[in-house]
Amino acid sequence: MAKAFGIITAASNRYDIEGLQEYRPVSAFSFAGRYRLVDFPISNMSNSGIDRIQVYISGNPRSLVEHLGTGRNYNINSKRGKLQLLFHDEANINRLYNTDIAAFMDSFNIIERTREDYVIITSSNMIYRQDFSELLDQHIKSEADVSLLYHRVDNAREAYRGCSCLILNRQKGVQSIDMNMCNADTRNIFMDTYVLKKSLFVDLIRKAAKTSSMYHLSRAVAMAVDELDIRGIQHKGYFAAVTDLKSYFDANLEMIDYEKAKSLFDAKWPFYTRTTDSCPTQYFDDASVKNALISNGCLIEGTVENCVLGRGVRIGKGAVVKNSVVLAYAQIGSDVKVENQVIDKWARVIHAKELVSDSGKPGYVRRDDTL
Amino acid sequence: MSQNNMLAMILAGGRGSRLLDLTNKVAKPAVSFGGKYRIIDFPLSNCANSGIDVVGVLTQYESVLLNSYVAAGRRWGLDSKDSGVFVLPPREKADEGFNVYRGTADAISQNIDFIDNYNPDYLLILSGDHIYKMDYDAMLDYHKEQKADLTVAVRPVPWKEASRFGIMFADESGRITEFQEKPKEPKSNLASMGIYIFTWKSLRKVLLADMKNPDSSHDFGNDVIPEFMAQNKKLVAYKFEGYWKDVGTIDSLWEANMDLLGRRSELKLDDPAWKIYTDDVSALPQYVGPNAVVDRAYITQGGVVLGEVHHSVLFTGAYIGEGAVVTDSVLMPGAKVEAGARVTRALVANDVTVGSGAVVGSADSDAITLVAKRVKGEE
Repeated sequence: MAKAFGIITAASNRYDIEGLQEYRPVSAFSFAGRYRLVDFPISNMSNSGIDRIQVYISGNPRSLVEHLGTGRNYNINSKRGKLQLLFHDEANINRLYNTDIAAFMDSFNIIERTREDYVIITSSNMIYRQDFSELLDQHIKSEADVSLLYHRVDNAREAYRGCSCLILNRQKGVQSIDMNMCNADTRNIFMDTYVLKKSLFVDLIRKAAKTSSMYHLSRAVAMAVDELDIRGIQHKGYFAAVTDLKSYFDANLEMIDYEKAKSLFDAKWPFYTRTTDSCPTQYFDDASVKNALISNGCLIEGTVENCVLGRGVRIGKGAVVKNSVVLAYAQIGSDVKVENQVIDKWARVIHAKELVSDSGKPGYVRRDDTL
Repeated sequence: MSQNNMLAMILAGGRGSRLLDLTNKVAKPAVSFGGKYRIIDFPLSNCANSGIDVVGVLTQYESVLLNSYVAAGRRWGLDSKDSGVFVLPPREKADEGFNVYRGTADAISQNIDFIDNYNPDYLLILSGDHIYKMDYDAMLDYHKEQKADLTVAVRPVPWKEASRFGIMFADESGRITEFQEKPKEPKSNLASMGIYIFTWKSLRKVLLADMKNPDSSHDFGNDVIPEFMAQNKKLVAYKFEGYWKDVGTIDSLWEANMDLLGRRSELKLDDPAWKIYTDDVSALPQYVGPNAVVDRAYITQGGVVLGEVHHSVLFTGAYIGEGAVVTDSVLMPGAKVEAGARVTRALVANDVTVGSGAVVGSADSDAITLVAKRVKGEE
């Protein structure tokens, strides 16, 4: 394709995710055991033939930079292609000013210098599979100025808090972009994904930056609905939005439904990530494992049910771990009972004998903590 | 070459015909092992971890897959500047035409030009057939300390098996005083592991002479080492105590995989300081279904367990259907055991399907059943 370049925004400046976000930007959150959220949009782009990709980073960049490296894990042509990491200085104490527009303005010259006619913008907290070359074709054919990808859901009352939704007319024209106030079941959740000409994008961000320092791109687009032809394109297939701890927990646990996992993962559309060369996982005699997605390098001696385990997790003898997301290298000690938790990397739950929360409000154990 | 001025050559030309149908289309070094690895990942990762920058891989039999596999040196981190994995199949040369490798020593002789490019002080010769972890740099230190011309890695083997190996007899200082290739009456139980460090200058001279010798079989064990002994060069034995396994037969390949199920496997694949590197595949983590039973298993990425697995090793993308029972078995990459099938004491080859309800292998059989072709299930 290469008619478009790709932008992956940081998400951190729009969403606040309890605990996890203190240690890494949303893009670097672990998902389905061995991936990080940013792997999904980058792989979607790479698989669609987009080989110039800008990843915007705000907040603590270490884990994300380490993970992405030169981008060669993502099957991007190493000569023609490029994975650019663009840092946005969060100098502003007031988070309201740390917008995606501010990040784009920091890298304005780099955006202007790109040679592609179109740009596809997405956000790393939106998990889905999408062929962007099809999306671009559809956008060009429709002759719209801006196309916005959305997913129609019928549980917007209890989920998708903090997401935007599209109000569409019958011709899928966008009438407005609103906040999901969780006051209706059926909503067209905006996947923070845009397709437009680069020239228009440049105009929009320049104008937005002049109008208000607090504008986000979605606001700038929403303000232009009367002048521009802005349309929604409906996405089909798996979709999850990570906007808070609960949605992060739910999206991970959804992956233990094998049919659901297959609706996201497809051998013909691989999601790439960085290998850590960990060895296979070892299950011992007393292990009892049901309904779980388990990464390599784990040692399992206890009971694991309805869980996603990251790499190198250790589950001790007699431990019972249920409905939990356990991130890499965490350790659950012997005879410890854990339920409905997100346990961050390197944490050790060994002294506390019981850690049980309600599934509607999962608990969180901080990175490196010993309980 | 910057790290220790030692270049490694891996002999990977053999077919490994005792592995039967597993090596119909791939050479033995490319055969899968331990869930996610191939046999040749072990010497290559050992090289990378030992600070060796340049590795030549001598290939011959069914080398297409092996060539493309080892050529991507970055899998093992052997891709920095002045570093690399070089695939060296037999090639036509201007002055002598095209020769296949006539023996292990000839494979090195025919690549003297390649080795000379790097001008190494030491040459490490390895075979691509064994499963073990070893620090070749520590062995080199010993070689230097002993001021040896040749250091041979040896390990004690049971006396009754000693006649199957090249046996070294060493004095107290470690100097090899006698060498017996597959002796009827072994004088010692220290067997050569086929791992040699040569001082390159010494070996080069012997190889040049060996090439021209019409009576030579051009083999390290039969010709080069006896020649070193005859010339009174200094040969020393380097004792290795860790895990080492020749996986040359279906039974030994199965057994080496089963060794990984132990509480503290001697191979220590999980040691972060000495990782074994391999091809990276993009597959989901392993999935264990709602009715699954998993006890004593070694399972890697992409595996799917819906049925039961007992005391078994599952390679990348292996699949066990609902109600199927896999016991004491090895499922190679992509092997599929469909619903209700039973697999016992078997090794199911790459991408082979055992149909639903089918029964293969038996708990009472001595030998391991190799399943290399699709087994039809119930219609």
